[in-house]
Amino acid sequence: MKKLLALLLVTVLLLSAASALAQTKLTVWCWDPAFNIYAMEEAKKVYALINPDVEIEVIETLSVDCETKQTAALSSGQTDTLPDIVLMQDNSGRRFLDTFPGAYFPMDGLVDYDNFATYKIDKFTSDGKRYAVPFDNGVAATFVRTDYLEAAGFTLNDLTDITWDRFIEIGQKVKEATGQFMLVTQAGYADFVSMITQSADFWFFDEDGRPNINTNPAVRAMVEVIVKLHESGIVKEAVDWSEYIASFNNGSAGSTIQGCWIIGSIVLAEDQAGKWGVTNIPRLDIESGTNYSSQGGSSWVVPASSKNPEAAVDFLSKTFGASVEFYQTILQSSGAIATYLPAAAGPAYSEPHPFFNGQKVFEDLMSYSAHVPLVKYGVYNYEARDEIVIAIEAIFNGTSIDDALNSAQSAIEFIME
Amino acid sequence: MTALRAPRPRGGLDRKIARKGWLFILPAVLLILALSFYPMVEAFLLSLQKGSGNQLTYGGLSNYQRLPKDNTYVTALGNTFFYLIVQVPVMLALALILAVMLNDSKLMGRGIYRTLIFLPCATSLVSCSMIFLQLFSNNGLLNSLFLRWGWVSEPIPFLTNAVYARLVIVITMLWRWTGYNMVFYLAGLQNIDHQIYEAARIDGASAIQQFTKITVPLLRPIILFTTVLSTNGTLQLFDEVRIMTAGGPGIGTATLSWHIYRTTFESVPRFGYAAAMAFTIFLMVAALAFIQMKVGERK
Amino acid sequence: MTRKLRLKPLRVLKHLFLIAVSFLSAFPFYWMLSSATNDTADIILGRILPGSHLLVNWANLTGAGKIGTAFFNSVRNAVVLTFLSLFISSMAGYGFVIFRDKWKNKVMGVLMLSMMIPPAATLIPMFRMFSQLGLINTLAGFMLPSIATVFLIFMFRQATQSFPYEIVQAARIDGLGEFNIFLRMFVPIMRPTYAAAAIVTFMNAWNSYLWPLVILQSPDQLTLPIYAGSFRGGYVLDYGLIMLVVTISTIPMLVIFFTLQRSFVVGILGSVK
Repeated sequence: MKKLLALLLVTVLLLSAASALAQTKLTVWCWDPAFNIYAMEEAKKVYALINPDVEIEVIETLSVDCETKQTAALSSGQTDTLPDIVLMQDNSGRRFLDTFPGAYFPMDGLVDYDNFATYKIDKFTSDGKRYAVPFDNGVAATFVRTDYLEAAGFTLNDLTDITWDRFIEIGQKVKEATGQFMLVTQAGYADFVSMITQSADFWFFDEDGRPNINTNPAVRAMVEVIVKLHESGIVKEAVDWSEYIASFNNGSAGSTIQGCWIIGSIVLAEDQAGKWGVTNIPRLDIESGTNYSSQGGSSWVVPASSKNPEAAVDFLSKTFGASVEFYQTILQSSGAIATYLPAAAGPAYSEPHPFFNGQKVFEDLMSYSAHVPLVKYGVYNYEARDEIVIAIEAIFNGTSIDDALNSAQSAIEFIME
Repeated sequence: MTALRAPRPRGGLDRKIARKGWLFILPAVLLILALSFYPMVEAFLLSLQKGSGNQLTYGGLSNYQRLPKDNTYVTALGNTFFYLIVQVPVMLALALILAVMLNDSKLMGRGIYRTLIFLPCATSLVSCSMIFLQLFSNNGLLNSLFLRWGWVSEPIPFLTNAVYARLVIVITMLWRWTGYNMVFYLAGLQNIDHQIYEAARIDGASAIQQFTKITVPLLRPIILFTTVLSTNGTLQLFDEVRIMTAGGPGIGTATLSWHIYRTTFESVPRFGYAAAMAFTIFLMVAALAFIQMKVGERK
Repeated sequence: MTRKLRLKPLRVLKHLFLIAVSFLSAFPFYWMLSSATNDTADIILGRILPGSHLLVNWANLTGAGKIGTAFFNSVRNAVVLTFLSLFISSMAGYGFVIFRDKWKNKVMGVLMLSMMIPPAATLIPMFRMFSQLGLINTLAGFMLPSIATVFLIFMFRQATQSFPYEIVQAARIDGLGEFNIFLRMFVPIMRPTYAAAAIVTFMNAWNSYLWPLVILQSPDQLTLPIYAGSFRGGYVLDYGLIMLVVTISTIPMLVIFFTLQRSFVVGILGSVK
């Protein structure tokens, strides 16, 4: 009997020791199977070689849902439903950091920040501390069906370094020649509002963080361009994201002007391989107008409620924060352009891309990155953008531009009270 | 009046029984007090606080004072009342007409009609919204058919044009809820004695006269009930707007509940302000219900 | 039996109208079902007829791995909630009538007010409350706000008013305790009302979206509406798959409706008197 008990005791001890050695489990929330989730899965593979005792589970969660759940959890203090790692849009970074101080795990000293693009780190810096591992570069570009251009007698060059007015002209010829829309974007033009404003080196707020929607020239010019686009008949206004993606995947639209992360979705239409090209975006016809901007882009944060924050940061810093090969791997299929500078110098970045007819798209995109005007995002980015979207809708329905922008201005001032 | 109603308690034995009755209602009452009233009180207290996130400070009535200045709130209010005024009467009228038609025991296939018309109630608002989203979107069924038949040369922007989008939401609600209300009316109609109609017919009353002078007055309590219920539901409209249009275009289809949700969960969270907005919905719902009941009683 | 079919124009119009309305009511279901058997490309082209893609869609759906959990959770949540809710609410409705006095009437009036509270407002206070009680991400957390609803109490109250009080009196004379009277006399007789209430409660639980979205956080608590709703404007462009999820979410309710709709109508009838 005693021997049996001893055996049992040893077994129990061994089992509990084994479970102590057993895996640390990390949960990750992110969205977009073609892009972020794919990148995460690749990162898992890389990390498995470094530290096999960590089990990482990726849970697909839409960006909006990620934010909703974080808001719900943080505002009620009930945070153990939060994951260990969550992807966050750069535009939302300050909002969460400033609204919920202490809710995220600071990463100073744990991540190789010197090698990251400064503008990405800034978006998640609050009170002098840094809270995220930057992920993708949101540099914007025009992604276009070169075969549609050819049908109308144009080349990729004709779309480079141009103004919006010229883009619309070309678009109308393309529509005549092919019968398809030149451009697709989500109805409401929300993406364009941010992207075009930034391309002219302005944002919705001034140096002191006060909104200047009705006084800043870029916003006004941007609104005028959007009205022209809406009236030109060359833009397909997609009801929602799936229709947006479907539109270029099925050829009913000849181009999309978007952050480079859209590549992951463009290459889904295998039958279009070789028919696409990339160039810079049209510029606003004002003094500060440039042909470069960024749109979107996100970073990985670790909620302070995580049970294994150090493990989470270790995982992130050794993959997204250090592994040059990792970034080469994910580049082609997803278009995830690193903001980790050493990676951006890697071999995959100078590869010709077959889908884009052999164009060295990543070299091009990296060169655009260098020209992206750096603007200061605030806390109320989305709110300001949304107010402008509302203003634009009113303008479509007949309100004068002045009235609509003044309305938007007072609305955002009101929200910021 | 077919059943003997429980009499008022008299005397010691009755009182004791009445007291036992409290045990019957206690679990439900406690649950509702704890889970409806307490949070509502909390919400009211919250509405007196201003600030964002968890950094809240006492603000008195400042949130309420902000409301008329909030363009989105005012627009959402307008939209919500639009839905109310357009959808509820149309739906109830349609439900009533259908119920009257199906109340005819000699009608062929009435069981089938009733089942089919009631069927939409089986869907969740999510499912129903997803289906109608797909029917009305730019590459949805309706547009595909219209394009194929050559009725239009470009897709009709059902969901991206503010006026159309509002109507699509109204249509979705009509589809989902008409059958539900129809069943209530059917039930009520079955209570009305055939002989009243017989007598009226003998007296020479036309079908329309029978409808307005007999059916409607006798159904008044049920009509009132469904009106209050539908008003309540429409004032709190949320799911369809969230799934089909995300409030858009712009805020063209936005409703109050949607604005509250957005203010709480999707923008910089302002719980106090959102609570204040919700409280105004509560006041509106209560006021409308009160008015409807008074109107119902007086006639 | 020979009866001349008199084709009165009014009758024909009536039928046409009813056919039109029935068609409009049923068509979206048909389309949902047929889309679930088609692939995305065909759906976009406006295909209405069923296709042969069902197995592919099904494979893709089960491949994603979430449908089983979602289905099981939805069933579990709805069944448990329905039982509890029927029990507590019917007891209350019964109690308000059989033991009525002016105090209970007052309480009933107060309860009616609670119907007007917009859910989005009490969301945060309730979430806070539940987290302090450790009820986040639990079945109890999901159920508690819906166990006692004024609608059900009202329904049973109305139904009880047509319940013959003599039965209660007779049972009391026979020495039965109040609770026994409720269980042995009331419940069996009021079966149609219970059936109707069960359908309504089950339906609400099954279709519930906003509250579970907030309170059921982890993937193992996923329910069907949340899963279906997660496809809105999302990255999955597989419309066939989406419609398949919607179909799976809807079929149980359809089955229940078809089999129990008679009881539902009778039940509503009883509570509407």
